[in-house]
This record gives sequence, structure tokens and C-alpha cells, in this order.
Amino acid sequence: MAFDPAILVQYWPLFLQGAWLTIQISVQAFLLGYTLGIAVALLGLMPGRLPRLAAASYVEVLRAIPFIIILFVIYYGLPFSGLRLPAPLVGTVALGLFASAYYAEIVRAGILALPRGQFESARAIGMSPLQAMRHIVGPQVARAIVPPSTNMTLTMIKESAVLSSITVPELTYQGLVVQGNTFAPFEVFAAVTLIYWGITLAVAGAAHRLERRLGVAQARSVSRNRLAASYLLLERESAR
Amino acid sequence: MSFQFAYLAGLMPNLAVAALVNLRLSAMIIVLALIGGTALTILRSLKIRPVNAIIAVLISFIRGTPLLIQIFLFYYVLPAIGLDLSPTVAGVAAIALNSSIFISETMRGALITIDPGQIEAATALSLPRHLVWAKVILPQLFRRVLPVLVNEATIVVKGTALLSVITVVDVLRTAQQIASASYRPFETLIGAALVFLAINLTISLLGRRVEGRFAVQRA
Repeated sequence: MAFDPAILVQYWPLFLQGAWLTIQISVQAFLLGYTLGIAVALLGLMPGRLPRLAAASYVEVLRAIPFIIILFVIYYGLPFSGLRLPAPLVGTVALGLFASAYYAEIVRAGILALPRGQFESARAIGMSPLQAMRHIVGPQVARAIVPPSTNMTLTMIKESAVLSSITVPELTYQGLVVQGNTFAPFEVFAAVTLIYWGITLAVAGAAHRLERRLGVAQARSVSRNRLAASYLLLERESAR
Repeated sequence: MSFQFAYLAGLMPNLAVAALVNLRLSAMIIVLALIGGTALTILRSLKIRPVNAIIAVLISFIRGTPLLIQIFLFYYVLPAIGLDLSPTVAGVAAIALNSSIFISETMRGALITIDPGQIEAATALSLPRHLVWAKVILPQLFRRVLPVLVNEATIVVKGTALLSVITVVDVLRTAQQIASASYRPFETLIGAALVFLAINLTISLLGRRVEGRFAVQRA
């Protein structure tokens, strides 16, 4: 079987459109998901049993159900209640909801990891509330939440492929369309796969730079013990 | 149209039977992924440069592309190069490979938390390499990655719902078949959601209990 680049030459506008929609949907779902996630995290940290239970149930339920089923329930459930919305909008909202459960857990853990009294101490040495947030609390919370948030965002971008099953014309959908027209799965999925790979590598790279700027601890001290390293390290130590 | 609870209750037995398909496939995938992930970890520890380079690309690829696309690759592309797999086999292979990679990455993180002194002690007792792995490293490693494995199990269960897209008759596809006959998609999909909720909450709960037992043993 030979790789036929003519297919990619002929259909590249479809792949491009699909990739662009995937990026747009991911950005919107990220904004929606993170906003909701922060709200749910704050709800869970409120005093009293009821808000905590509500937040915990929201997180547990959304995390236990496959995204494809969350998507279908919303997509088929809305017309049921008399509301008919375009598939890309439904898909974006569903993706945002799905991600919000994970973001909520990340934000909650980030806030709980903050040592007590940081804000008060900053105020006590004469910082304004804004300065305390900007210089003391903000950086510490950011350092804790950026790495897991990056992971979750990459997961979310990848989950967006599932939107193809409700006919949202994103990258995977366009791939399946071209595959239906050409019966050339190898070329089509090679292209789709490489585009996804490129998108996630770009996001991971940007997040990595952000982590460096925030001073997230990089690679832990590598064992200097050669014998132990031969078992416990999976990479060769970089030459120093 | 109103939500009919009686209808939902009536179709739960059908969905529960279909859930056995998801459970059976999930169990197979988790066993395969645990074996695959462990083998991959030991292989990587040998630090054979070309082998590790290939594995590094594979890891980046699996982590950087959607599981759905990986399932499509096994289902649509392998037949094109002469390897015709049934939808079930293709799906199980795709998710198992995906999960192996994630388990191996977890193990990589857990390995460096093992005390180097134990390796020195085992070597001083002239324990051969395979026994250092089998008797010293792996038992501790499995214990350390257990919480992540429980989480990975729920991810695998959720992943099996994607197999409905390549025509495996699982909970979701059964729900869709029922819905296309009855024109009540909302209730049937809620039913499918409830099935997954029940399975995954049970796994999390069991996982927490098992972890609790290990914690007591360690103390």
C-alpha cells in the first residue's frame, strides 16, 4: 500500500477548517470550563454541608460518566425540553461542563495547599489586598494549579474529537468525511493524527514555558547513585 | 413529551446486560495494560538507546492524540495494511496500548521514590537483576501506583463507551438501538449514564477500601 499525497493536496482545506474549529472550540470550552470550575471549587470550600455536598456531587457525577454519554444526553435532551441549538454550540458547552469538574478539583486542591495565614501575613506587613493577592497568594496558587491544569486542558482538547459523533465539523469529523470520500484511511488518519499531535505539543510547550516563568520545580534531584539509577531511572542522565 | 421514569426503569435490565460487555472488555484491557505498562517500564530501565528513543516517540504520540483517533487507527488503518481485526479486538488493543503508556509513565514517577539503599542492599546480597525487580521493586511499585491504577480503571471503563462508535454493541450502542426503536433517546441515554455512574462509583469506592487496607499494613 502506497501513501498517496494527492489526497492531502486535494482535501487540505477541509483538514484546515476542521483544525481551526477544534482550536476555537477548545479555547471556548477552556474559558467556560475554568470559570465554572472556579465557581464549583469556591462552592465546595464554603462553610456548611449543603454547598460542599453539591460541589462534590457535581464533580463525582461528571467524572464518572464517559464524555460521549454526557454529550449525547445534552444533545438529545435539549430538543426533548423544546430547545434546539446548533451542534457546535452544544458540543462546546458539553466539553466545558465536562472539563469544569476536573478544573474544580484542581483549583480546590490548589487553594487547600496554600499554607494558612499567607494573605493575613502579607496584609500585616503593609501590603494592600491587591498586592497580597498579586505577590503572595496568586503565585503560590498558580504554581500549584498550572501543571495539572495543563494536563486537563490537553485531555479536553483530545476529548473534543468525540464531538465528531454529533456532526460538529471539527478535525475528526472532517477526517471521517474525507475517509468516506476517498477510502484512504492511512493518508487521512496520518494527517488528522499529526495535526492533533501538533496542537497538543504546541499547548504543552507553551504551558512548559509558563511553568518555568512561575518557577514550578523542574526535574527532581536525580539520583547520583549509579547502581540505583540503573533500576530506578528510565532515562539516561543528561551529560553535565 | 415528558420524562417517563417507568420507561427508564423498564430498560435498565437490558442496559445492565449490555454493561457486562463493557465490564468484560474493561477487565481484559486493564490486565493487558498492567502487563504492558510493567513490561514497558522494565524495558525502559535497560536504557537501550534506540529502543528508548522509539518508546519516547510512542509515548508522545499516545499522549498527544485523542483516544478516539487511536481507536480509528486500529480499526480503519490496520486492515489497509493487511491486518483485519474485529471491532472488539481493534478497540481492546487500542485502549490497552493507550493505557499501558499512561501506566508506564505513572510507574516512572513512582520509581524514583523507592529508596536507593534497597537496590544496594539487594545487589549486595547478589540478588540477580530479575529478582531485584520481582522481589524488591515491583511489589512496592504496585502499591505506590495503586491509587492511579484505580483512577486508570475508571478511565478505561469510560473509554469502552467509545467502542460503540466502531460498532461494538456495548451499553451506549444498546441504548442507541433501543432509542431508535422507541424514539425516546433522552431516557435511554440517561439510563446509559446511570450504568456508568454505578460502575465507576463502585470502582472508586472499592479502590478507596483497598488503599485503606494497604495503608494499615504499612503502618
